[in-house]
Amino acid sequence: MNRCEIYSSAIPATPARGVVVRKPWARNLLTFLMVFGPGLIVMEADNDAGAVSTYIQAGAQYGTHLLWLLVLLLPITYFIQEMVVRLGIATGQGHAAMIYSRFGKWWGLFSLVDLQLLNFLTLVTEFAAIALALEHLNISPLIGVPVAACALTLLVLTGSYRRWERIVVFLCLLDLTWFALAFYARPATGEILRNTFVPSIPAGGLTASLVFLVVGIVGTTIAPWQLFFQQSCIADKRLRFADLKWARLDTLIGAAFTIIVAGCMMMTGNAALSHGFSFADPAQMAVDLSKVFGPWFRTGILLLMINAATLGTTAISLSSAWAYGEVKGWPHSLQKSIKDAPGFYGVYVLCVGAAAGLVLIPRAPLQLIILSVQVLAGIMLPSAIIFLQLLLNDKEMLGERFANKPWNNVVNWTIIIVLFALSLVLAIQVVAPKVF
Amino acid sequence: MILENVVDERDFLVIHPLDDVQEQKVETKHLGPMRMTPAVRIALLALRGYLVLMMLLVLFHALDLAGMFGKA
Repeated sequence: MNRCEIYSSAIPATPARGVVVRKPWARNLLTFLMVFGPGLIVMEADNDAGAVSTYIQAGAQYGTHLLWLLVLLLPITYFIQEMVVRLGIATGQGHAAMIYSRFGKWWGLFSLVDLQLLNFLTLVTEFAAIALALEHLNISPLIGVPVAACALTLLVLTGSYRRWERIVVFLCLLDLTWFALAFYARPATGEILRNTFVPSIPAGGLTASLVFLVVGIVGTTIAPWQLFFQQSCIADKRLRFADLKWARLDTLIGAAFTIIVAGCMMMTGNAALSHGFSFADPAQMAVDLSKVFGPWFRTGILLLMINAATLGTTAISLSSAWAYGEVKGWPHSLQKSIKDAPGFYGVYVLCVGAAAGLVLIPRAPLQLIILSVQVLAGIMLPSAIIFLQLLLNDKEMLGERFANKPWNNVVNWTIIIVLFALSLVLAIQVVAPKVF
Repeated sequence: MILENVVDERDFLVIHPLDDVQEQKVETKHLGPMRMTPAVRIALLALRGYLVLMMLLVLFHALDLAGMFGKA
């Protein structure tokens, strides 16, 4: 067999830039590194400002007792995003475009409007977190928030997907700092291992507060924008059929990294519980814990809050811009210049600018916005996942190679039913708290 | 210099997806809307039911806030 391969290239006739290697392992490693990115970014960006708040709250209320829940969520997030990977690689199109073309205008419009609204409201919460952290760092939000919005805009305006991806992967890796914080704040190793691998109900039993926190954690870990983002990202990066196994590995690594970081956040919250601090938000907790661990701890948490919000903002805004561009038929790629894709970049800038501006308005109804995010997420997530599952069973479009196998369907329908039930519980709790 | 010229038979050429020739993806344009099999019909019906239920909950909450069910 001829060992000379133009790896992953379907039509090798055209000259292309590439790297020549001699060993199969070097080829595999290099190919993986070239494919790596969308999976890590989509997962880690989901550890956004809202997630930091939720995981820390879980730690502060129940210590490390809910670590096992994160372990359970690892395969769930992976299986959902793996479907997105297959769909993106097979079709080379985004999720919004697929819903439009296969389910018609009504469902397409419903998904798009719901996604844009939910994304925008989530962006407001991201900037609210940036403003909060900046205040505790003694930086005026009136200066810091516009600077953050400009930086987030410049991040995508370079006309290079690769540049954007490298910077964002670097930001994702900054979250390794959570490991250091968790190491300093950690409880006994035995307690961590027991609560990670042995599911248990915290002392106090199965209260309504615990149920809603569990639902909140699930809702935080699996967000609707992730489906749209990763599929569009894969399409923009032009991943090839042969890249599928590496894209799956990227997604698995991303899922594992994100869940471990979430566990570290919970352990940091647990430190507040064990030292008897009660707080209203993570920034306040950072200030309280600095009395125990030193000022670096406070600065670390505040900077990580800003990093989480930054990651969330760029990913969520891009999912909006990609989705809108796909549906409108506009050029929509980070590889294009502003001149070539004005609509795509316009949507991104509008999302970032409007959310940042809204946060700076005195007495903006942030509480109402957070409530709306929860309700809309409850509506959006089940519908987006239903479309995803139906698309992955569309053998007419995907053929046997990319369509779901029977075992995929058993796993995915189980996940969908659980998510439906949890979304319903969350929505009922938010909309009609008297029911419980 | 074109890389293909220097790749010898024992080598592998690894190309970044963005530098590679675009491959032909599965064709979706000619397919049109998805065929309404019983499974698709049931799934979309369940989704409609779920959305109607959510809308009713939002309406209930709005009416509750407006004081229609006693103390707001």
